[in-house]
Amino acid sequence: MNIIEVQNLKRVYRATNGVIRRTTKEIVAVDDLSFDIKEGELFGLLGPNGAGKTTSVKVLATLLIPDAGQVRVKGLDIVKDANEVRKEIGFIFGGERGLYWRLSGNDNLRYFASLYHVAPEISKKRIPYLLELVGLKGRGDERVQGYSRGMKQRLHVARTLLHDPDILFLDEPTIGLDPVGAREFRDVIRNLQSEKKTILLTTHYMFEADSLSDRVAVIDKGLIVALDTPSALKKHVRDLSVVEIETFGIAPNVVEEIRKLPFVDSLSTREQDHRQILHVQTERGAEAVPDLMASLEGMRVGRVTVREPTLEDAYVRLVGGKA
Amino acid sequence: MKLKNLITYWRTALTVAEITLRHQWNDSFILFAILVQPMIIAILALFMLRDLGGEYAMFVVVGSGLTGLWSSLLFISGNSINNERRQGTLESLVALPTPFEVIIFGKNLANVVQSLISMSSSYILAALLFGYTLKMVSPLLFVGSVIISIFAFISFGLVIAPLFIIYRGIQQWQNAMEFPVYILAGFLFPIAMLPNWTTPISYVLPPYWAARALHETSTGTGDTEKIFFAWSMMLLFSVIDLFIASKLFKFMLYKARVDATLETV
Repeated sequence: MNIIEVQNLKRVYRATNGVIRRTTKEIVAVDDLSFDIKEGELFGLLGPNGAGKTTSVKVLATLLIPDAGQVRVKGLDIVKDANEVRKEIGFIFGGERGLYWRLSGNDNLRYFASLYHVAPEISKKRIPYLLELVGLKGRGDERVQGYSRGMKQRLHVARTLLHDPDILFLDEPTIGLDPVGAREFRDVIRNLQSEKKTILLTTHYMFEADSLSDRVAVIDKGLIVALDTPSALKKHVRDLSVVEIETFGIAPNVVEEIRKLPFVDSLSTREQDHRQILHVQTERGAEAVPDLMASLEGMRVGRVTVREPTLEDAYVRLVGGKA
Repeated sequence: MKLKNLITYWRTALTVAEITLRHQWNDSFILFAILVQPMIIAILALFMLRDLGGEYAMFVVVGSGLTGLWSSLLFISGNSINNERRQGTLESLVALPTPFEVIIFGKNLANVVQSLISMSSSYILAALLFGYTLKMVSPLLFVGSVIISIFAFISFGLVIAPLFIIYRGIQQWQNAMEFPVYILAGFLFPIAMLPNWTTPISYVLPPYWAARALHETSTGTGDTEKIFFAWSMMLLFSVIDLFIASKLFKFMLYKARVDATLETV
């Protein structure tokens, strides 16, 4: 049974400039987006920056009004029945904001419990339970301003579970967390999955989407470019291998020349400690390495590896090598 | 609205007020607005008018308390929505089942109640520093006036807060709105001393009716009929303010969801 239905969603941002001659610039954040999420499913939403992920989540969380299309949560219209929808959902937007830093963790939770109309006798039991669930047992009396980023993120999770919603929207919840914090956070998400919560997760981390999601939608420029299970998406790149080349100070024009080589399916680069790692997807696998090295002649090159494609490679191919 | 909802909202507003008081306790601007500034005003007024005697001292005590109340309403309640936006908590508050105006009602309740401190501090100041024997003429009617004034100020604050968001141009005049209301509402001297043409402006200001009720019950200058009339005017303005506020909040939130301005200042 579909618990979330998004049909032909469109959302445009308008920015007005000028005093005498006012001009309005329109930016289409989400363009004709359609997908459904089943009850108890963890649905991943992937896409490059500006693809429309956060906009989609904010529309679902009743924080933005769509320009066109229909969005239903548990059969309720997110515009007409916004107040009813709000009782059914919980949400987290990445980052540390959204909490009262001068208050303790306990007071933050007590405050939001009251705003979610959780009866005081229930919240008295639920708050310690949630603090334990998110690994903040014994820290509830401390002011939030003294919490680490990971602790604040976990307090966000506790806040969003106060009214025990069936549906959760998690918008890049692990952004900015250290590897240990991110891993602990993923364990919290797995716990929620085991409680049969329906979760919409947006993330930049492919392994996160791969390990957690039942299905993944890849969006680009506000449109869905692929929607399937992680394993099915990986089949998109089954015929390819990935050559990773470590370079030092590679010029942008050289990257563009490599991208144009006939055997290169797609190419992305990643900056890492003054190095640029080239990820070249190609059907030729190891055979492509000599030709690629020829293109890099005269440049300082480090380690070269050839590996099997991952979900990230499928994603890069789907969004045209922009990651 | 169902009675059950009203009870739930009232309980929620009380929790919001309590948490707001805890949150604001360390804010030095709030201490200035509700404690320091009214005390400075009270000292100035008591020095200037010390020859008028003890009766006027009570007028100054109540009047300087009202300045704290108005400043708190104008700056703290007026900026309450923008403050939430700056803290990044506005989105979390809007996407809740509790109507946003109930949350701002609770915040205004906290601001108005805490600014009553300014009245108490002025009372202590007049009694200890200036040695006045301060006597409340009609204590019961005074308490009634305080309660109705709180409601009137909260309702007025519910109009100001969304107004400052929808029409940002008005907020630029926020500082300029502080002292004229002190004068036009008759906080520190009767409006009879002002030119006649200002009287209609005073009559449409809820703080004027609050000042009148509080002054008349504390100094004994008004009869019961006059006091009840001031109460009626405050209640009438409160109903009008609540109606206008409900429309403004609806418009403000809809516009913010269309313009995507819940997160951005």
